Amino acid sequence: MSGEPLLRVTDLVVEFSTEQGVVRAVDRVSFEVRPNETLGIVGESGCGKTVTGLAIMGLIPSPPGRIAAGSITFQGRELAGLPESEMRAIRGRDIAMVFQEPMTALNPVFTVGNQMIDVLRRYRGLTRRQARPAAIELLAKVGIPAADQRIDEYPHQLSGGMRQRVVIAMALSCDPKLIVADEPTTALDVTTQAQVLEQIVKLQQEFQMAMILVTHDLGVVAETCHRAIVMYCGRIAEKAEIEPLFAHPRHPYTVGLLGSIPRVGEGEKQDLAVIPGIVPDLLHLPPGCRFADRCSSRQARCDEALPELDGGEDSRSRVACYFPY
Amino acid sequence: MELLQYTIRKLLAGIPLILGVTFVSFLLMVYFGPDQTYQLIGKNPTPEQIAEVRAQLGYDKPFVVRYADYLRELGTLDFGFSDSTGEKVSVLLGRTIPVSLALITPGFILGNLVALMLALIAAHHRSGWVDKMIMGLSVVGMSISFLIVVIAFQIVFSSSYGLGLFPVRGWNVHSPGDYFAYVAVPTMATVFVALGYNTRFYRSVIVEELTRDHVRTARAFGVPPARLLYRNVLKNCMIPIITRIVFSIPLIVISGALIIETYFGIPGVGKVTFEAITSGDQPVLKAVVGLTALLFVLAQLVTDILYRAVDPRVSLK
Repeated sequence: MSGEPLLRVTDLVVEFSTEQGVVRAVDRVSFEVRPNETLGIVGESGCGKTVTGLAIMGLIPSPPGRIAAGSITFQGRELAGLPESEMRAIRGRDIAMVFQEPMTALNPVFTVGNQMIDVLRRYRGLTRRQARPAAIELLAKVGIPAADQRIDEYPHQLSGGMRQRVVIAMALSCDPKLIVADEPTTALDVTTQAQVLEQIVKLQQEFQMAMILVTHDLGVVAETCHRAIVMYCGRIAEKAEIEPLFAHPRHPYTVGLLGSIPRVGEGEKQDLAVIPGIVPDLLHLPPGCRFADRCSSRQARCDEALPELDGGEDSRSRVACYFPY
Repeated sequence: MELLQYTIRKLLAGIPLILGVTFVSFLLMVYFGPDQTYQLIGKNPTPEQIAEVRAQLGYDKPFVVRYADYLRELGTLDFGFSDSTGEKVSVLLGRTIPVSLALITPGFILGNLVALMLALIAAHHRSGWVDKMIMGLSVVGMSISFLIVVIAFQIVFSSSYGLGLFPVRGWNVHSPGDYFAYVAVPTMATVFVALGYNTRFYRSVIVEELTRDHVRTARAFGVPPARLLYRNVLKNCMIPIITRIVFSIPLIVISGALIIETYFGIPGVGKVTFEAITSGDQPVLKAVVGLTALLFVLAQLVTDILYRAVDPRVSLK
């Protein structure tokens, strides 16, 4: 892996004010994305992976949320704290986002074409008449059959997979350098998931884009990503390239996640391995390792202070654990 | 074709509503309403004289027959003659309803349009000081009684103590200039009162819509905030807004007109209704009640058809 990073996130902290106090949804997270690379962000619900994606887009709902510290540089330009008007010029044009909920991500009262043409006109400076064939072409490219008819339909007339393809087509319409895909296939059924995922990867190569794939599905990460970060309670637990991550997971949480994937046809039928315990409340975090309560390798030191990522920038696998595997 | 079938079906479905409303109102009118007999009769009447007048008014017939008469009148829209003035009811309403409509329409339209604009501005600056100021003024507007507003506006704009720009009362309209002069103060008063309620309602609808996922998608694709509001969000908000606007029409035509017309001495249908209620002029009351019920059914029909126009997911089935 070489080349200047396209995006560099350094010590990002995102906080939300709630009635009970300030919640730190993302706590000193650092990573980088290189051109044409796919980075996976994995973790369970509430671990801060979606918020990280939104922070890059400058879409943290504010108030109550805010980027409290850290920096996000895109092509050398600082995005954190950029005024909304300048951020708007970057959104969609340079960094596009594909959302988790294809059912609600499109506006129900406008046709698909209407929404796409709107984006095309804004980013490519096309007239309405020029934008229509361009939109049809994009829809065909993301694998929508009879695109010239589908373009005049409303979102509710399309299936979930089709809608997600429409959102992907919209994301591609401005030729972005980076796509943030937030659980793009989670809401779809399994066969559609595979198709949409395949389409995304194919288009990513065709359009020469980098991608951040936010997901809780390790299978998806194994298939599509070059590197991945595993998040737990707003912190990075493990950051590694794909082969070492799956061949030799080092953080007990990663080991637990991999262990809880059901395997079929391997010897005796056995109970599915689960990680015991529950995620701690973000309002009342322990001073030590946040995974300690659920960890089988826990020792006294784990409760004293938060472990930091080991190794240097260049190592293939880094872990935030005192007693890694 | 679909629309025509739907319209017919809706109108048929409205019949029970009209029957229910007219039945209850007529029951109240006959057994609990004021009686015209003693207004039409001289002092110290004999029982024969009383019976004669009651027969003239039709009070001697059994209730069922009188209600059946009412339904027939409703079907033909011919309600006979006013008990008080002897004028034909259809002529009376034909003369006064246009006056009321001319009086109410400007205030109604302005009240909604201005409120919608203020609501958009407030939603755009939500939880900022602009929003707080607009919402604060809305509460003030809502809290002041309509009567106070009317009197205050009359003093400020119409009287010799104030600006003295417009006539205080009456309706002597022969030219567009006259119309403007007589309608100006009632319109300002209506707008002032409607603005608070409408703005708060519209703002809450818009702010609610702004939390939806498709708004976030639009923002992620760089839609500027103002455009987001008036293009993406406004159309989504139309269903509750249309409901409120269309359903307020029947209420405003009768009760809104009643207050304004009384205070500004304008001979509209509200004033006629008020006088008919106090004197027990049943032919007029029957006409007004029946037409109001009809208006509600029509309002319902119009809202449903407008829903279809703004939201493609609504089907007219």
